[in-house]
Amino acid sequence: MKRLNKVYIFDSIITYTIILFISCIFLFPILWLVIASFSKTGSIYAFEGFFPKELSTNSFSKLFTDTMLYNYPKWFENTLYIALLSCFLGTALTILTAYCMSRFKFKSRKSLMKTTLVLGMFPSFMMMTAVYLLMTQFDLINKHWGLVLIYSAGAPMGYLTQKGFFDTISISIDEAARIDGATNMQVFIKITLPMALPIIIYTLLMQFVWPWSDFILPKLLLKEKDLYTVAVGLMSLDETEFSRFAAGSVFIGVPIIVLYFTLAKYLGYNVSSGAVKE
Amino acid sequence: MKGNKEKRNIFQPIKEIIKNGNAKVACSAIIMGLGQLLYKKWGKGCLFLLLQIALICYYVFFGASAIRNFFTLGTIQSNQWFGIQGDNSIIMLIMGILSLIIFILYFAIYYSNIKDVYQTQLTVELNKKPKRFVNEIKDLLDVNFYKTILIIPILGVCVFYILPIIFMVLIAFTNYGGDIVPPALVDWIGFGNFVKILTLGQFAPTFLKILLWNFIWAISSTALNYFCGLGLALLYNKKCVKMKAVWRMFPVLAIAVPGFISLLAFKFMFSYGGPINQMITKGGGAAIGFLDIDAKWTARTIGLFVNCWLCLPNSMLYATGILSSMNKDLLDAAKIDGANAFKQFSNITLPFMVFATTPVLISQFIFNFNNFGIFFFLRGGLYMDGYFLASDTDLLINWLYNLSIDKNHYSIGASISLIIFIITSIISLIVYMASPSYRQEDTYK
Repeated sequence: MKRLNKVYIFDSIITYTIILFISCIFLFPILWLVIASFSKTGSIYAFEGFFPKELSTNSFSKLFTDTMLYNYPKWFENTLYIALLSCFLGTALTILTAYCMSRFKFKSRKSLMKTTLVLGMFPSFMMMTAVYLLMTQFDLINKHWGLVLIYSAGAPMGYLTQKGFFDTISISIDEAARIDGATNMQVFIKITLPMALPIIIYTLLMQFVWPWSDFILPKLLLKEKDLYTVAVGLMSLDETEFSRFAAGSVFIGVPIIVLYFTLAKYLGYNVSSGAVKE
Repeated sequence: MKGNKEKRNIFQPIKEIIKNGNAKVACSAIIMGLGQLLYKKWGKGCLFLLLQIALICYYVFFGASAIRNFFTLGTIQSNQWFGIQGDNSIIMLIMGILSLIIFILYFAIYYSNIKDVYQTQLTVELNKKPKRFVNEIKDLLDVNFYKTILIIPILGVCVFYILPIIFMVLIAFTNYGGDIVPPALVDWIGFGNFVKILTLGQFAPTFLKILLWNFIWAISSTALNYFCGLGLALLYNKKCVKMKAVWRMFPVLAIAVPGFISLLAFKFMFSYGGPINQMITKGGGAAIGFLDIDAKWTARTIGLFVNCWLCLPNSMLYATGILSSMNKDLLDAAKIDGANAFKQFSNITLPFMVFATTPVLISQFIFNFNNFGIFFFLRGGLYMDGYFLASDTDLLINWLYNLSIDKNHYSIGASISLIIFIITSIISLIVYMASPSYRQEDTYK
């Protein structure tokens, strides 16, 4: 028994060492960025190894005031505009599609589902040449709503998660409402939607994060500096502007991280439990 | 066998309509909406009639020439000297695709028109009143609610998803790009681009080198991410680990940070003035160009590990989920029979994981095969000797980007996308067919 105990302790020590090491690997680059954003001089060459010698909030104020070359506030505004619009449009479309695919057993349903599966096999930026050319022809280069259209139109392709959620909401509730004389639209708006709140929030988050952190499409379609999104803007920064990059990243990265961790709890609970008695 | 059955199902209603339809159905077959009007269904009849007129007008004025232009891609060369406005081949190509789509739509409307009038005939023959137009519109919010809803997503996907795919596939068979961009005339050249890529001195060596590296990259990075993820999941699942949720938060941080930020941060970290090189120079060494032009394998290895850092959390979360659904009795039984930890892992856990995760493995393989971001950020914009518009870390997808967006070799780029698609779909099909999760579907149920 005593020997077993020793083995157990030895095993725990090794396990915890590995875990601590791994946690450091994941935490370190992020910590590095955060601390670097508070560097006083701003240049990466003035760092002592990984970390700046002196700290200040200089980079943050420079980010928002020194807009001659790099107009961060404008980029931020653009990103927010694109992400919010496509988040709402995309979520609406995705939820509606998922609801239909889950609730209506119409004739062409199976073939529609198969088609989306096959289309999903085309990786989305295999089409980037085509999208770029089409957008040039339609004169949607350098237009923000061109991006919004692409993001929100592509959103329903990923309806499967949401469909899975609707499948778990018992259909008996719908049927009960139908017997009471509700139309399908009333059932959808008054019963299904309120119950689908967790999945709606999940979808909103996903649809927001995607445009927020995408760089391929904006890089492709936005050619003027003032129209850039934050991702493209930060990419265009000069190599010496490290602190500015770090500050800009922290400023848009932190809200997303906070969103992730606050909503993570919220996404778990099951609303329809107790609504149907079997 | 199955195909036959489906075929019969498709043509069954048409046969029935031809056999049983009366004169009014025939009227609708000739002029859309006429049958409905004869049944005194004014609203619907007029709607179909108007649609028919609109579509015929479209084809008389635009559609017919659009389809003809689709095949010729323009014949009039523009000439500034004589002030001749030439044909724009690319516009013609797009308009041609659109008019073909509208043609298919026309057929669908035509068919639904005949089906509708046949339904009416059946209702009237049973001495019932046919549905009123107002009620049919009301149905769109009730029984047929799905039609109302689905129309927008389907339209969106058609325009921004299917149209680009068709367009890309067609471009691959033209000579569009290089010097041949409008106002010059573009032509169909069949498989010319593919022949060029495989044989021409300019493209072929680059293509083969990149393809080889692309395979090495996809296989090694998928394997690395998969086993590291599985290892992490097993580690955090150990009984002696307390506060599992807290420890799992650290890897999840890596998902929460937008990908481009972490990639750019890593680029800074390995750059000449970056912290790692500073520490090396302080220790007396010379700065190393980790991502420099001659740093072939260092750059590749760094890419591999950076990609692992980015993707590992996802595969860890996934593996954790699968592990929690695994039947623990098997492990307990093995323990009683005296199997050690390694035996338990290699004979029970691993086969189960491989079984349950084959689809995910395939999608991760495809994702890594087309992993655009990694080398675009770490080492973007390098062109090397021996490569045509590419560097030795570039994947096919990066090369495709360089070719068609930076320089305008559109048709070559489109053919490369087609090749990528064919390769990835064949591989995923083969792996999926050969995988245990396809062959013995209920082994672990």
